[in-house]
Amino acid sequence: MDCHEKEMRLVYALTLNELIDRNPNVYCLEADLSKASGTSPEVSSRHPQNFINCGVQEANMIGVAAGMAREGKVPFCASFTAFATRRVYDQITVSVAYANNNVKIVGTSPGITQGPNGGTHMCFQDLAIMRAMPNMHVYSPADANELRAILFHMAGSKQPTYLQLIRLKMPKIFEGSYRFDPNRAVRLHEGNDVTLVSTGFMTHVALDVAHKLSSEGIKVDLLHYSAVKPFDSQILVDSARRTGAVVTVENQNIIGGLGSAVCEVLCEHRPVKTKRMGMPDRFGEVADPDYLFDKHGFGLSHIMQTCREMIRSKKAY
Amino acid sequence: MEKQDLSLENLDELAREFRYVLTDAICRSGSGHIGGVMSLVEIVITLYYRVMNVRPLEPNWADRDRLVLSKGHAGPMIYTALAYKGFFPKAWLATINQNGTHLPSHMDQNLTPGVDLTAGSLGQGLSAACGMALAAKRDGRKHRIFCIIGDGESDEGQIWEAALFASHHGLDNLIAICDYNKLQIDGFTRQILNLEPLVDKWRAFGWETFEMDGHDWNAIHDTLAKADAVTAKPAMVIAHTVKGKGNSETENRVDCHNIRIPDQATYDRIMCGLECKMELPY
Repeated sequence: MDCHEKEMRLVYALTLNELIDRNPNVYCLEADLSKASGTSPEVSSRHPQNFINCGVQEANMIGVAAGMAREGKVPFCASFTAFATRRVYDQITVSVAYANNNVKIVGTSPGITQGPNGGTHMCFQDLAIMRAMPNMHVYSPADANELRAILFHMAGSKQPTYLQLIRLKMPKIFEGSYRFDPNRAVRLHEGNDVTLVSTGFMTHVALDVAHKLSSEGIKVDLLHYSAVKPFDSQILVDSARRTGAVVTVENQNIIGGLGSAVCEVLCEHRPVKTKRMGMPDRFGEVADPDYLFDKHGFGLSHIMQTCREMIRSKKAY
Repeated sequence: MEKQDLSLENLDELAREFRYVLTDAICRSGSGHIGGVMSLVEIVITLYYRVMNVRPLEPNWADRDRLVLSKGHAGPMIYTALAYKGFFPKAWLATINQNGTHLPSHMDQNLTPGVDLTAGSLGQGLSAACGMALAAKRDGRKHRIFCIIGDGESDEGQIWEAALFASHHGLDNLIAICDYNKLQIDGFTRQILNLEPLVDKWRAFGWETFEMDGHDWNAIHDTLAKADAVTAKPAMVIAHTVKGKGNSETENRVDCHNIRIPDQATYDRIMCGLECKMELPY
């Protein structure tokens, strides 16, 4: 499938169809947002027996999925990130993670990509709260090929998993031959001056940062974490040892998510100066990404400037 | 071991023994949810001895009937039935709520042979039972899913989400039982949050409804048979029960949800509330 020309949500739906073709135990659960997730009409018409629209009841959807998983099904449950995680946090904790039931939770439109729905729907804490849950894997793919590889991995594993799904069409980063390994971060650009760590929606911006700074003579070591949990500590520690300065950027609150994971590892294994970028502990609002990047200071120019400053302060450090 | 044909006298004797063992096991752990355990004795014995198809030596047998205890705090009731049916040694009952036990206060599918679903945070088990029932239907399997919910638990919004879902999907392989003992932790249900008219609510949600005396062997057996015969919709059996039933120290007392046994004198007093004395099987 040539998928990088498609919206990520359509890739989600088309890949689910393929997975159901291969394994009829794969199920698609929705809570009245199936058009937003891309699964209606794609999955609902092609696999009506494997498509369950629960209506606007996210808590029940998670419980139904847990019961189905207990019977050997592999349910993928989607809703906006806010309703797929924070609204049903106890249901996921007890019925899925604590019970170790093989449920796949898909949070769509993460962070600033929620745009016109504004502050009530913009969730900046899902990586943090899902990461803090035992038994739970947490993934945030950056492009369509990576999404597809991750979906195949999820369908074949028995691991309760949370997936952040960007609904938009995203710039191509990975080839179709890309293989996902939840235990490995991916080095997208090699350098010795500063380590830049990103995930999900911010990775294509971080890659632009690395290319632009390269033309200034600054060599960025860019690490992309499609799996925020489990967390690949080794590649980070090795990079920090070489660069001595780390910048993290994520489409999330700077409290608790990728930046916090990076700080936890570095402070225990290789303390270096680190700067976290993302939402500075604020709620969202109705706005487009560029407006929010500017307002909260984690767009392309801000990341470039922070990298330069980190290199300068490293010399003074 | 399949279903057994027990006389009413045998059943009465079994219920007495279960209550004695349950009270001892809960008391020796220092505290426990005795009220909502004692209200379920006759219902759970009926399920495991007269209604459900299970195989103690093959707890994950694919065609077994499932039991989800959504009011997961009544775990010791299920453990006693499972031990007496032979899923695991009766000696395990002496470890209820003890460090390192396989029999925790709330149900854990990964710790206890024969436990079909983890439950403890109220309101969640009925949703999972819906998922199990839907999975069975999609696979064309004939086993049934029984689910016991509490009356206090029925305050939870998720119960009513599941109620909508089960009737929408015509889950006639799902038989729910509400342990309507009229008491929740902080007081009588009519005072804390009134559920009435409870039967009307379930009927309005599209379920076939039944009422029964949850301590009457024949009523339980006959009502569950009728509930099993329902087609095209789920069945709700409202079981009128007495919380803390069978022990004068706990029966219908507001404070019997969770008792604390700090010393031997309290243990002796609670055990004396039972109408009998017998040998413990461990």
